[in-house]
Parts: sequence; C-alpha cells; structure tokens
Amino acid sequence: MSERLDKRQGEWIDRSRSIHFQFEGDDYTGFHGDTISSALWANGVHILGRSFKYHRPRGIFGFDDIDCNAMMESGSTTNIRADLTLIEEGMSVKAVNTLGSLKKDRLRFLDYFSAFTPVGFYYKAFHTPKRLFPFYENQIRKIAGLGKIDAQTPMKTVIKDYGFCDILIIGAGPAGLSAAIEAAASGANIIIIDQTPHPGGTLSYRYKNKGPAIDLLNQLLEKVKACNNIKLQLSTLASGYYADHWVCLTNKERMTKLRAQSVIVASGCYEQPAVFHNNDLPGIMLASGALRLINHYAVKPFQHVVILAANADGYRCALDFHEVGIHVVALVDLRREGEQSELDKQVKGLGITVYRGHFIYEAIAGKMKASVQGVVLRNLDTDIPVNKESEIKLNCDGIAMSVGWTPADGILRQGSTRMEYDTRLEQFLPIECVKGIFAAGRVNGVYALKDQLEDGCCAGAEATALIGLTKPGNNKRPPKEESPQSHPYPISDHPRGKNFIDLDEDVQVKDIVNSVKEGFDSAELLKRYSTLGMGPSQGKHANLLALRILAHLRGETMRGKQITTARPFTSPISMGHLAGRIFTPLRRTALHHRHKALNAKFMYAGDWLRPEYYMTDGLSRNQCIETEVQNVRNRIGIVDQGTLGKIEINGPDVVTLLEKVYTGRFAKLKIGMTRYGLMCDESGVIIDDGVISRLADDRYYISTTSSGSAAVYQTLQRLVIEWGLEVILVNTTSTYCAMNLAGPHARKVLQPLTDVNLDPDAFPYLGIREGIVANVPARLSRVGFVGELGYEIHLPADGAITAWDAIMTAGQTHGICPFGVEAQRMLRLEKGHIIVSQDTDGLTLPFEAGMKWAVKMDKPFFIGQRSLKIIENKQRERILVGFIFPKNYLSPKPKECNLVVKNGEIKGRITSVGFSPTMGQLIGLAYTAPEDSDVGSTLSIKLDDGSLVEAKVVKIPFYDPKNLRQKING
Amino acid sequence: MKILKCPINGPRPIQEFIFGGEYRPMPDPNNTSNETWADYVFNRAGEPGIKREWWYHLASGTWFIAEHDTVKDVFIKTYLLQNITEDE
Amino acid sequence: MPYRLLRFALNKKYAEPPMFTEPSKLKKSYDVVIIGGGGHGLAAAYYLARDHGITNVAVIEKNYIGSGGTGRNTAIVRSNYLTAEGVNFYDKSVKLFLDLSTEFNLNLFYSERGHFTLAHTDSALRTMRWRAEVNKHMGVESVLVDRAFIKEIIPEIDLDCRHNMPVMGALYHPPGAIARHDAVAWGYGRGANMRGVEIHQNTTVTGIEVKNNKVVGVKTNKGLIQTNRILSAVAGYTPSITKMVGLRTPIVIHPLQACVTEPMKPWLNAIVVSASFHLYISQSSRGELVMGASLDPYELHSTRSTLDFAEGLSGHTLELFPFLSECKILRQWAGLSDMTPDFSPIMGKTCVEGFYIDAGWGTWGFKATPASGKTMAFTVANDQNHEIIQPFNLSRFEQYELVGEKGAASVGH
Repeated sequence: MSERLDKRQGEWIDRSRSIHFQFEGDDYTGFHGDTISSALWANGVHILGRSFKYHRPRGIFGFDDIDCNAMMESGSTTNIRADLTLIEEGMSVKAVNTLGSLKKDRLRFLDYFSAFTPVGFYYKAFHTPKRLFPFYENQIRKIAGLGKIDAQTPMKTVIKDYGFCDILIIGAGPAGLSAAIEAAASGANIIIIDQTPHPGGTLSYRYKNKGPAIDLLNQLLEKVKACNNIKLQLSTLASGYYADHWVCLTNKERMTKLRAQSVIVASGCYEQPAVFHNNDLPGIMLASGALRLINHYAVKPFQHVVILAANADGYRCALDFHEVGIHVVALVDLRREGEQSELDKQVKGLGITVYRGHFIYEAIAGKMKASVQGVVLRNLDTDIPVNKESEIKLNCDGIAMSVGWTPADGILRQGSTRMEYDTRLEQFLPIECVKGIFAAGRVNGVYALKDQLEDGCCAGAEATALIGLTKPGNNKRPPKEESPQSHPYPISDHPRGKNFIDLDEDVQVKDIVNSVKEGFDSAELLKRYSTLGMGPSQGKHANLLALRILAHLRGETMRGKQITTARPFTSPISMGHLAGRIFTPLRRTALHHRHKALNAKFMYAGDWLRPEYYMTDGLSRNQCIETEVQNVRNRIGIVDQGTLGKIEINGPDVVTLLEKVYTGRFAKLKIGMTRYGLMCDESGVIIDDGVISRLADDRYYISTTSSGSAAVYQTLQRLVIEWGLEVILVNTTSTYCAMNLAGPHARKVLQPLTDVNLDPDAFPYLGIREGIVANVPARLSRVGFVGELGYEIHLPADGAITAWDAIMTAGQTHGICPFGVEAQRMLRLEKGHIIVSQDTDGLTLPFEAGMKWAVKMDKPFFIGQRSLKIIENKQRERILVGFIFPKNYLSPKPKECNLVVKNGEIKGRITSVGFSPTMGQLIGLAYTAPEDSDVGSTLSIKLDDGSLVEAKVVKIPFYDPKNLRQKING
Repeated sequence: MKILKCPINGPRPIQEFIFGGEYRPMPDPNNTSNETWADYVFNRAGEPGIKREWWYHLASGTWFIAEHDTVKDVFIKTYLLQNITEDE
Repeated sequence: MPYRLLRFALNKKYAEPPMFTEPSKLKKSYDVVIIGGGGHGLAAAYYLARDHGITNVAVIEKNYIGSGGTGRNTAIVRSNYLTAEGVNFYDKSVKLFLDLSTEFNLNLFYSERGHFTLAHTDSALRTMRWRAEVNKHMGVESVLVDRAFIKEIIPEIDLDCRHNMPVMGALYHPPGAIARHDAVAWGYGRGANMRGVEIHQNTTVTGIEVKNNKVVGVKTNKGLIQTNRILSAVAGYTPSITKMVGLRTPIVIHPLQACVTEPMKPWLNAIVVSASFHLYISQSSRGELVMGASLDPYELHSTRSTLDFAEGLSGHTLELFPFLSECKILRQWAGLSDMTPDFSPIMGKTCVEGFYIDAGWGTWGFKATPASGKTMAFTVANDQNHEIIQPFNLSRFEQYELVGEKGAASVGH
C-alpha cells in the first residue's frame, strides 16, 4: 500500500532514485531523501517502535527531533533516530527495545499491568526482602534501556575542526535567512546553519495554501546565494552553546567548534501536543509533523483526520490537508470563541464541521493499539465533569494536533538567556539575551510571516552593529504576536489514564498528579521523581505541559514559572563526534629510537615513555634488571635522564631566588660546583628535589624531578615576578637531553671523548664543567645518585644521539650496557636516596624523610620554613628508615606499600623495596613509628596475604656507607 | 570555550592558561603569629565574588592577575602584577 | 510481582502517603537549624530526630531538596580510601547504606556492582596497593587485581587502551555500589519529616547572628529564627555560610562535571574509574551510562558546562570502550565541589559555639551521606565531636594535622 502523494512543489525526495531497505526483516522501497520514518509511512507501516515503559506501539509524532519512540538498530549501530536518519541502499533496520519482534513484542503485556507500575513504582517495591533485590534489579535492568550495545562495533570517529565567523545564524527559516541577507550587506562573514537537509524552515512546509511560500523561499535563497560572505550549512545542528559564543556544530561527518562574534538564534518553535486518553496511538501527530510528511516527503499521513486546534495554524492545516485529498472529518477547536479570522469561513466552506469549545476526550484505539479508529469529543462547558450522552464519536484514522508552541530555545537557554512565561502568548519568551546573542522569528514570539522577516532583518542589523561593522540604527523590532498561539491547558483527564505527557518516558497525567501528591511539587523534583523530560528528546514536547499541570494542581498561574535548566546538548551527540581522532600527547626522549633498537621495555612515566629495562633473550625481567645493576657496580652503565627538568637561571638575583625556594644554602656554592636541593611547599611538605649547579657568578643550572619540571618552572617564574627579582629563567627540559654514565670505568670511557679534564683534582666529586663530548657542547657533572663514579652529561637534544653512539662505542671494550629506570631505582635504593613522590607523599615533611640535613632552618627564609618552625617540635608520627631482610630470606617477597604494623595498628608502609644484587638481600625504605626507627629495631611487615614478616632497621646507605665509590680515581 | 585576555598576548582560549589560585600577599614570616601564618598557608577566600587570581599563559610563560567574577565566570580585567593597585 | 505493587492496582485511592509535607510558616525558634536540604542536612535531621529525640528542627533549603551535590554526583558508594581515618568513616557509611532501603521503606536501588580503579602506570599501581593494604587491614574488601581478572569481569574493556597507556592492573573493591542519589535525600527527608522535622524549601539564609561567640539566630528571607545550634551542610556554598560567623576555612570551590548517555541495554555491571584518564563510568539501572571526569581546573561558583569536558571524557571513554563511539551523550551538567587541601572533609564543632560544620565534601560527599548524618547528629546533640570524625575537625589545619588522603599524587574521587 503506497501512501505517496503526487509530486509536491519543493519536496525533499528524489523520485528518480529508488532506495531499497529492510525493516524488521521485510523489504521496502523508498526514495532518496526519505528518512526511515517517511519511507515506512509511505509503505503503510505505522508501527515504528515501542514505548520505553509500556511497550505501546508508536508511529510518527512530530518529525521535529522529538520522535524518540522510533529508534532503530542497524547492525552494530543502535539508537538510530528514524525521523532524522535518511534511508540508504541496502540498509537493514529493526526497532530497539522489543522482545521478539516489533509487532509481536513479548513485552507488550506491560501495558496491561500499568496499574501496578505507578510513577516511581520502583522506589516502592523490590527492596524487601533485601536478598531478592539483585534478582529484581537484574530483571528491571533488562527491561529498561533502549538499544543493545555490541562490543565488536569498530570505533568510528569523525573529523573535528575549528570554525570562525562574525555571525552565526541558527535556523534557515524566514527569520534566519532574512537576518543573513540584512547582515551580509555589512560585509560580515556569516554562517547560517539548519538541522534539516533543506533550507526554509516553516517556508518549506507551511503556508503552502497561500501560494508564495516556495516562491518567497526561492527569492530569499537567491539573495543568500548572491552573497559570497554567507555560507549556508545544512544538515547541521547547533548541539551546544558555550561561553563566549563557542558553539558546537555537528553533522554526520564532522564536529565543528565554531567561534562567532555574535549568534542569532532563529530556531523557531517546537509544536506542543495535546493530552487525552490514547494520545500516543500511531496516526496521532502534531499538525506540523503531518505537514512535514506531506510537503517534505509527499506522504499522506492519514486518510480521515480529526484536527484538534487552538490556533489559526490548525485551520490552515485543514486547508492543506484538504488540498492533498485528506478527508478532514472535523476540526475541534479548544477555544470557545473559535477562530475569528477568515480561516474559519474558509474551513467551513469546504464542508468541514467545526466544533468550538470541544476537546478530544479520548482516541479510540484499533487492534493492538496500533491505529486510531476514532475520537470521542466532549464539550468543554457541558461535559465536565461527565455528560456521556452529549459525547460525540467520530471515525477517523488520524488526529492532527495544533494546540500550541514552545520556543526551540535550547541554545538560548544554554547561553543564559532569561526566558519568562508570557501570559498573553501563553508561552515562554526570551526577555534578556547575553551580549552578542539575538533571538529572531518565532523563537522570539513573532509569528506573522512578514513580521518574522522583519524581526530577522532587525536581528541582523543589531548583530552587525554589535561587532562594529555598522553604526547602530533605529531598527525597531516588529511587535510580538498579540493573540495566544498556544492553549494554556490542552490537557484532559481520563479515568483510564494513558494520556501521555512525555512519550519518551511514558509519563501520564496521573503520574504528575501522584508525584505532586507525594510532595514532588516543584518542576525539578517532579522531573527527578517521574523521569519526565529525562528521555532522549529531553522533554522538548513534555516540559511545558508538565509545568502547566503543576501550576494547575497548585492553583497557581504560569506567571513566573520556570522550566528546568537547559543544558547541552540540544540533541544527543555521539561520543565519536566529541572524541574526534583522539589526541594523546606522548613525550619521547631524544634517545628513544636508540632504546628501541636496544630492545628496551618501555614504561609510562607521566607523559614520558622511558626504558624500564632492556630485554635480553632468555633472561627474566628481574634477571635483566639485576644484570644492569651489577654492570654499573662492576663496569659501566649509561641511563637516559632526558626526562629530568632542566632550567637555566641567570641574573643578579639568582642566589636570592635559590635561597628562597630551596631549603639548603646556595650563596656560597662555588662556581663549577653542584649541590643537592630540596623544595617544600608553604606548609613544609616536600614537593621536589634536584641538583643546583653554579656555572658562573650569576648563572645557575638546576635539575628537577621529571614529573615536577613544569610546575617548578612555573612556580619559579611566578616567584620572580612576585619578589621582583632580576632573574631570567630558561626552561631547557625539552631542548636538552641528559644521560648518566656511571660505573668504575666511567672516566676511562669518557675522557677520550671530551676536552674536559676528568682528572679528579681538576674535576672533583660534585663538580660541573662545560666542554664538548663527541664534538657536542655539553655540561658534565659528577653527581652520585647511583653511588658510583659517574658523569651526568647534559647536551642539546639534537646532539644526544651522536654523543650516545660515541659513548657506547667507546665503552664497548669496558663492557658498557645501558640501564633502565628499574635498575636506577635499585642503584639509588642501595644508596638510600629517596625518590620524591615514591618515598614521600602529599604530607611528608623533610624531618620525616630523613632529609633534615638538607634543610637549613637558620637561613633567613625559604618557602615552608615558617611552617616547619611551627611543626618542628611537634611529636613526629613517622620516620623513614632503611630496612633489610636476612640474606636467607627469599619469599614471599614484600612489596612497595605493604604496611608496617604494630599491635594491629598501621604505623607506616614500605615505600621502596627490592632484592639488591649488590647486597645479596632484600632491602628497602619504610615509614615506621619514631620509637621503632632506631637502628636494630624490628619492623613487622604485613604482606599481601596478611601474613607478618620481620625486617631489621639498618643505617642507610645500605651500600658503600662512606661514599667512597663515587669518589674513586678509576 | 572561554576567552581570557593575556596582558601580553591578548585574548586567547582559556585552554592555553593555567589557574594559579587566589592572589595572596605573604605576611612577614618573622613578624606574625603561628595562627596568622597557618591561616595564610591553608585558608582561602572561598566565597563567590570578584576575586584577584593568578593566571599563567602556558604558551608564552606569562603570569598575570585576573579579576574574575566566580559566579558569572566573567573576567573583568587582567593585568601584570606590577600594575596591581593594593587599595582595590 | 511484589505484593506492594499489587496494592497500587487494587487500591482505588492512590496508595501512597505524601513523601513530604509542606510546612506552614517558619516558627520563631528551633532547637536546631540545619542549613542545607541536601542528603547530608536531611540525614543529620533524620538521625537527630530518630536517635537523639531532637525534633524541633528546621532544615532550611534555598532551592529544592537535593538540589546541590546530592542530585549532581555520579552516585558511587565505596570505602576503599587511603587513610585509616578515611576507611573507618566511609566503611561506616557503606554499612549504613546497606540497610537504608529497608529502613526507609523506599527502594534506593543500592546496587553492589564492584568498583575498579584502573592503574595505567606503575606509580598508580603502587598507590592502588597502598589503598588495598590499608583497606584489607581495616577489614574492607579491596584487592589489587591483574589484567586477566579485569578482563574476566568486564570482557568488553580494551585494556590496551588503543595503545595509549595500557592498563597494568586495578584496585578491585567488590562492595563498590551505585544508588539512586536523589532518593537518598528523599528517604532521609521523609523520615525526618515524619518525626516532626520541618523542611523549608525555597528559603534562603541571609545571615547568622552571633553573640559572645555563640550563635543565637538565623536570618532568612522569610524571617528571623532563634536557635542556639546551627549545622551548616551546604557543601559548595560553605564559604558563604562560614563567612557569616566569621570563620575562615581552606575550602575552595571548583565545578565537577558529569554527563549521561542515552539508555542502552545492560552490559556494564562494574563501576570503572581511571585516574590517569580522568574518567569514571557506570551504568544506571535505567541503562544510561553515567560518566564523570576530574575537577574543573579553576575556581568557580557556577554550574556551567564546558565542551572541553565532553570532548575529553568521550575520548578517554573510547580508549577503554571503543565500541561506544556511536553511543550518544544526552545531557551534561555540573556541581560545585568544596575542595580541601587534604581531600578530606571538615566536620564537627568549630570555635564558634553552637556552630557545627559539615563540609569539604569535594567529590566524595554522596557516599558519605549516612555516616555524616549520623555522626553530625551525634555531634550536634551532644555538643561533642563524634569519635570517628575527630580527625576531620576544622582546627586540624591550624595544628598542621592534615589527613593524608591525598596520597602521593593529587587524584581525587
């Protein structure tokens, strides 16, 4: 059965291109340009989906981004909106949320059980007895939800780009187009978007009977085309408005983040339904939905229609319907006075009966509630409460509702526009927009076509004046509509309910009534309790109705009422759109590819990738690490330290700065020497450490931890300003690479490659020298993190590979091997050096971490000093100590963060632990109570499995306590 | 995305900036009670209003002061620290 | 079908008594005034009435009940905290939650789903072990699990995260649960209301009268109330209230954003959190994915939404669950988080006599609702800090006795 009409002027389908598709396993044909909904309706298919709660059949409702009961799944894609999605050749879709098939949905019995499931029923049952709740919850979860998710679905992301324009116009209807034309004269760069694939807004489907609609649209479009500075983007939705005119535009292939100087919102209105028993049957539509079906897709929505009207639009619909051969059974006008314009006569002239002051009491359902068979009308004055005798029954297969509008104000509200209920128009109106946002056309309460054009013009002129392209003119906005376009209460009660407010969520009138009775009597509480407006259409057709009922029940007027807060998105938007091609920054050191070639196992450290260790065939991870450790101790190793923060500090006030930010003393640090530096925050907590080197009188070079580098640099910059110091900071973290060459053979390997005299007398321990390494300018410093003779080599990143290669070649005969982060951790642990953020936490004070030696409390000032003075004499709660396990102790191995306990109380935790290849035993650092921190004390450590093992507190460093190794003359 | 005006680089998207907290001049550590010092270290003016805040333009390394309406999320003005007037 | 539902069908008159009564005008005086009609305030009122017989109580709410953090969080309940003090407190809360539906005769949909905190780096893994060890020691179910374990429970997850920071392991907390957050406030509200507590919605506190360092009254837009005991339970609005009594606190307010997707059939049982990806995600009983990210980076008292949040969150979600790319986000929103320097609440008595504070709930307030209500009711009733909230006293900052909940890195939730 085809419901396709003859060609309509300006129709959106291309009849030369047939499209074949499947719905619920059956084959259908539509035209290019058809949406799933229009194509199915053209094929006589009226059940497009089932409702969320009661699984009632649903059809086309509004064709305006609110048909959320017609959701499809196709292959692995789900929750496809049938009203918005165009059919494609070979497409196969089925309705979501049905058990079995759409027609024979096994959950349709839920409709008959609705008496058991009043509003919020799930709050009132299933929780006793407690043990059964998981069972009930499982059942409820299965029934709830829409489409099924398929975990095999490949990831689809779209292009994300940035856009810029002077004026963004949302809505290519009469107001939007005329705003664009007006503003274009100023030379402004304009983008006009519309959600639909064709421009025109109401001009594309309304006013057909008046003749000029399509002509007017064509004229406007021609003017738009003639302006090079107007870009018309169709099928594009303004999904969200954010601060400073940052608008998220989406279409199928793209998400654009657009920065506009000004935004004109000409998005029109959403038609609002009337509420009566069975108002959800397939065949009952918003009049605008029916008109869209007729004029966009040339599909006949119904054969015999009853129109429920409360405005002139309803009468115009009657004329339009009649024109395409629909039998208008009757026009039921909610208004006692009826329509006062010529339209009344025109409609009656066609032989259509008009019932003034009547309302639809119920729609009579066909079999399985899959269709409309007729309506029952009642007289507003005589039939309330009930006068069954005077009821009028009419047969029809469709109902068109034209009872009112609400502005499509999603973007306006997201843009903090103040909206107020206008008691004359019986709808919300924008009262005050944020600077740069303008409302025009029907969204602004301007309904007459010529006024809409005028309103658009004014908005265009105001926008160009705002951005300074034109002088502010004396444009006067046309008056708002004077007569109400919406009925204040198009709602009828019915003993059998099923008079739906929110089709997404199956919320009925009684649900609102009962919610209010229970005390949920504000718009927000009502929403949360009844789930009204929480569905995919976000209450576009429901919120206003609910507010009307709420006011009615409370005996209040609509004055001053507010709809629940509008938030992005205006229409749901896919995560693939929002994610775009996921961009995750990753930092690699200059030597990354050398590590890769050496078979490094990489690990993430903040944003950095670092070699954890170097893999060797046949050796376990631990064996590899132990080998690396031993190689440093016995021969020579090299580690990439490029991730360290590296900052140059120059200027006359350098010393002042360093003295104030580090806990140690630096004024007397000799040129060519380095010193350890510890940094605290204002509360005295350790936040960073590094090595401070003096290159010249007023030239220092400092290193920071890898994770702290950005924060330290930024903090120093701020302090320089705050303290008014004459200091220049240069962050060389990325431009410099660093490596540490360590082991007894370090000097032998390095000397031939550098012009720096490595003789211990010329270059003592803790010294720093500048020179070249393998012809690359470099800074060499003798620091002792791993506790062997060693040189930290800092050089420009582009010379890193040259130097590395030269060192590796030179070191070959001495047994050089690279070592990774893990070996370095063990090497420093053997020396008892702490790692800030591993051996310290968010509250660690220097006294607790054994760092008292690095803190000069008698200095005039350093950050954290004043706080440390306050806390200094307080009872310590924990002390970091070194501990060992007996040499013969092998397992189970304690792990980092295993707890130190005493008498069942937590006293601390292990912060670092591992098997020391050098010492041949398990060693580690742990926090413990001060009374247990003396050398020789016993720590009781609770392992993963809850068992307790004992470790002995020893003096640190574990290895080479006199620090002779790092000073040897190897 | 909000736009914030860096006093050196002009208006830039806020993603380029890092928030540096309330602008709080430090009391003289040698001349202040423990209570006042702890108040300086920990306590903040958390109530809504127009606040002077530290902001950092990451791309250029510029620290500056912004007067920020924390209710409307509007930046009223921005300037370098040297241009701050203490009596405001 | 449960008998209770049968009642609705059989009973012609609607079978449910009103949840709340609308009180008449404010009285001249109350024994206790609670500022803030969110979960915490209502819970405190409930326990004051039930456990301490103090029913001459007014809850003053400037908006509607549950309009603050209660209705804006992602409804996660867990007790796998890092410090003994924290675990102790939140464990009490979890235990109270378990019986709340029965107690209220209101189904809160308290659903134990199991809670995974994913670790993508070895330092994160170390922190997870720390938490696991403390939890186990305190008798809270928590365990460090490997990739295979995660995959078994959540087969859909891409542990390699599309080759960006693969998951190394996770902290698994079986009692981790989600609940209908609004209903928690309603349940407490109804329970308090039934016992005589008055709930005044749409009433704004404009000032607090203090004489000789003692509170004596509360000024509201609907008149002055005399009282000697005031409990402030206003989370994101705390600094405005404390200012009225001249108290300074370390609290700063940052927005925390969240979003939900369109409903889908159930597939995700567990609650998944990734600190490295700034993401937490769970599926509600209605089928929506409820998702949140980290705190907004700057101080703000506005619940505006940002696009960056939705973009970043979507990207990270797809790294773990790439098949969700066509799943649509329905709505985003924000709440105000009252952050403290040590990621722990501020609770108990203050130096102003009769002024009690329940604040500093940052991003972890919902799960604390029952325990905070119960302990604050005790504290107000006895004018003595409940033992388990003693570590959370406001004076801890002045004393430099912060609670170490922040751990090694600043990762909240």
